[in-house]
Amino acid sequence: MADRIDRNRRQLLALTGKAGVTTLTAQAIGVNLGLVGVAAAQGKVEPFRFAIISDPHLYSGKDHVFDKQLEDAVSQVNALAKQPDFVLVTGDVAHQGEKDQMEKGKRILSALKAPLRSIPGEHDWYLDMGETWRASFGTETWSFDHKGVHFIGLNSILVPDFWTSKGLTPAQRRDWFMPLNSPVPGLWGCGEQQREWLKKDVAAVAPTTPVVIFTHSPLWDYYPRWNFQVSDSKEIRQILGKFTAVTAFHGHVHHTVYNKIGNLTSIGTMSTSWPWPYPPISLPFPEYQQNRADPANTSDGMGSAAIDLDAAGKAFVQYQPFAESLPPRLKNGFKA
Amino acid sequence: MNMQSRVFRRLAMSLVAATVLSTVTVVTAREPFTKDELKAMDEKLTASAKRGYDMWYGARADMSSNGLACANCHPDGAATNPQTFPKYMPQTDRVMAFRDMVNWCIENPQVGKALDVSSADMVALESYAFYLHRGVAIDTGLQTRQTAGPTPKSARGLNVKGTGIGFDK
Repeated sequence: MADRIDRNRRQLLALTGKAGVTTLTAQAIGVNLGLVGVAAAQGKVEPFRFAIISDPHLYSGKDHVFDKQLEDAVSQVNALAKQPDFVLVTGDVAHQGEKDQMEKGKRILSALKAPLRSIPGEHDWYLDMGETWRASFGTETWSFDHKGVHFIGLNSILVPDFWTSKGLTPAQRRDWFMPLNSPVPGLWGCGEQQREWLKKDVAAVAPTTPVVIFTHSPLWDYYPRWNFQVSDSKEIRQILGKFTAVTAFHGHVHHTVYNKIGNLTSIGTMSTSWPWPYPPISLPFPEYQQNRADPANTSDGMGSAAIDLDAAGKAFVQYQPFAESLPPRLKNGFKA
Repeated sequence: MNMQSRVFRRLAMSLVAATVLSTVTVVTAREPFTKDELKAMDEKLTASAKRGYDMWYGARADMSSNGLACANCHPDGAATNPQTFPKYMPQTDRVMAFRDMVNWCIENPQVGKALDVSSADMVALESYAFYLHRGVAIDTGLQTRQTAGPTPKSARGLNVKGTGIGFDK
């Protein structure tokens, strides 16, 4: 079993605010990670750790509280005694998709010691249909093999064109994605083009290879009213159905959540910006819910996550909250 | 009790009964509201709730200086639990009404300017929040970790056509 995370709060606080000091230019965002390996074909995993930072939702301007919270998450990850091989950012870096917001996110995240991978969220995307996001973070659909595991990233926030016929400006189109329960854009998903790409991508991957997939929204029908879903998740799960085990990580919901459907285990991550409440439904695994955030504590309910993959490719998930946001079930990590 | 006393007693009881009946008659004297009157009243409430919805989602700029709106943490009014107010809130160390809590959120997480508690805009926010929770039992003072809000009628799928007002009406 991998080392448990050092949860020393003082250590975190000491590091807080120092993000940016240890920028490694060779690990700048968007560079080729060079992680493609041959271990996947051998069906054996060399244990390693990766980390997840999710939903920074950066606004324009200086000294916004969310800037500091993203810096705190970067400090948390950089403080891990066992460093991750890479860090996944699961979308919504820029709240309004503006260039200055994206550049700020790129600058703050460049302080990570580990290389970065990213997928977009709807807030990143709909001002210019991903142009600024791509310029900062690269392609939105990708895969790579690393130490025996096949990693996949998909853009899960695509909807059919509703804006052209209405004559909407880019800003008007973007603004329809601001409310979580916006009635106009409709249910989003990955779309046929990415599903075809996915079929080809996994065709040559052995069924025994552990697969880890990242999407912004969850790969199951969690709560569509808040777009807590991927509209074509069933088709995607079918494409991945040949694998012994698939572990899916997502952001968007801004809280801890867990589900198992067939061979797929789905894990939601905390954001670095604010915690969404749980929707009014019964969860299949309610014991994985984080505590109700204390509104008087602006750090409560948020954080990052570290995931250790063992020799069998099984994930051990450790959330790293900024405050004491976790029930006993989640405090010391859990096997996915 | 002699005959005279019994007569007086009966007269007194009759007088009381007549007074009570007279009072009841006054109370029920008004004609029931007509359908048109009810419709007009409902439209007034809906207009207030619509205004509240818009404000909930950030329509009034002075409520926030950092971009956060009520809906950032409370989509569909989730985790607001207006039916549990007034209740003691640790962050202020006092019993607060729902409108006090609204202003606390405006001034703290949203870093905005508090509303006049007797203003139409504050009533609008309350109209929206309470409208969403109609049918939920009042449980004043309840401290709970409940986080889920009401279940809108379209909860099992986005209301794709959309009312544009964010709640089922």
